[in-house]
Parts: sequence; C-alpha cells; structure tokens
Amino acid sequence: MGEIDAVIHQPVRLKIMAALKALPAIEQIEFVRLRKLVDATEGNLGAHIQTLEQAGYIAVEKDFAENKPRTRVKLTKQGRRAFEDYVAYLRDIIQDKP
Amino acid sequence: MEAISPQQAADALKEAVAAEKRSAQAYRYQRAAPYLILWGVIWVAGYGATDLFPRLAGWIWCSLVLVALAATMAIGRRASPDRLGPQSNWRYSLCFAAIWAFFASTYAVMAPVSPMQQGAFPPLVVAFAYTLLGLWTGPRLVIAGLTVGALTLGGFFYLPQHFLLWEGFVGGGALILAGMWFRRI
Repeated sequence: MGEIDAVIHQPVRLKIMAALKALPAIEQIEFVRLRKLVDATEGNLGAHIQTLEQAGYIAVEKDFAENKPRTRVKLTKQGRRAFEDYVAYLRDIIQDKP
Repeated sequence: MEAISPQQAADALKEAVAAEKRSAQAYRYQRAAPYLILWGVIWVAGYGATDLFPRLAGWIWCSLVLVALAATMAIGRRASPDRLGPQSNWRYSLCFAAIWAFFASTYAVMAPVSPMQQGAFPPLVVAFAYTLLGLWTGPRLVIAGLTVGALTLGGFFYLPQHFLLWEGFVGGGALILAGMWFRRI
C-alpha cells in the first residue's frame, strides 16, 4: 500500500475535492457557492484552493460577471484521478488490505 | 505522513461521501431553479390573462407555451453551452409537443371538462411530478410539489370563483419562490 495523498487528506480540502467531484467534468463552481458548500471562511477556502491548484488538482478561473469579479473552480483530470485514488486508498485501509 | 487507522479512514470517507452528496444535490437544485422561475412567470401571465380574457384562453396559452419553449432552450444553452448543440432544440420541442399531446388527449378522454378543471389539472400533474422526482433527488422538490398541489386543491375547492387568479398568483408565485429558494445553498 502506498502513502496517503497529504494534499487531499485535510478536512477542508477533502470536502472541496468531494464537492467538485460530484459535478459533471466540465462544470465549474463559483467560489461563493463552494464556500457555502464546504462551510469554510473566505480566507481559509482561498488558502486551500491555492494548495490544490499548486498540486494541479483544480483549475481556477478569474473573470468579471456583471462588472463584479468572479472566481470559478473546477476539478482537473489529474485531480479527479487523485481523488479516486485517495478514496480507493481509504477503502483499502477500511477493508484492511495489505 | 503517518499511516491512518481504519477508523480515521472510515471517518474521512464518510466526510467525502457527505460532501459529494450535498454538492450533487445543490447542483441539481441550481439547474432546476431557472425552470421553476420561468414556469412561475408563465403561470402568473397565463392564468392572470385567462381570468381577464377567458375567450382568448387558447391563444393565450399557445403563445405562452411558445415563449416558454424558447426560454427553456435559452436556459438550457446558457447552462450547458458545451453540451447542448442544435439537436437539443429538437428534443425540447418534442418534449413540449409530447406534454401538449398528453394534456390534449387527457382532456379529450375525460370530456366534458370545465375550464376550471382544465386549469387545475396541469398544476396537479406538475405537483405530482415534482413530488416523485424529489423523492429521488432532494426534499426541496418534494416541498415545492406538495405546496403547489395543496395550493391548487385549496383554490379549486374553496375559491372556485377566483380560481384562475389564485392559481396564477399563488401557484405561480409559489413556483417563483421555490426557484429562488433552489438557487440558495
């Protein structure tokens, strides 16, 4: 058994990854909605998003909508795979696989 | 990083599943919201105009259904620009045609039906559909379905002289409010 993915294995980042995984592959979610979904503060979420982006697990897009700044986030292919591997790893531990 | 215990793994998995479920449900609500608001506005306009000009009911509803079809296509394209091509317009059109045919054939089979019965039947079908769909996708749809159903029956039996206005402003208003509620997390 390998090592657990330390980037994902953090409560807020785990929720972010799981929330994004539930969306269709091409779908983005706005920062504000994501913050409510994972129940995090703005600063806290921003820091975790940066960590996930640096790992290549999520893609962040910033633009303007109706003259207001908008940040949208989506899971990358690499992130989707990493999350699936992470979940498989957890299941192996639960089932006590060597 | 230290190895984690089966209990910690189970807790983490539980958190992940809960977050996924919450996100999927919020996404479904978000997708449904503009359609509820659209149909709420159509109901307000349709039932309100039918109450004012009962003889023009057929034209009013034909026009509004065409407006609703165009708006539905626009909402669909805006929500999924990458996935919905021109072929989706045909699907939307056929869906509307199928729904129209369903109500027309039901009225034909049940004839004679009064204008009030004609007005009450579609909201009851919508309420029933939302309730069933909600049992699979999320409680907010169940609440919206039960509310629209109860308001329709209430207006039908207790306010028959103002039923169309009731259905337009209370039934349609309930749909608009439900749509706004669906947009929230």
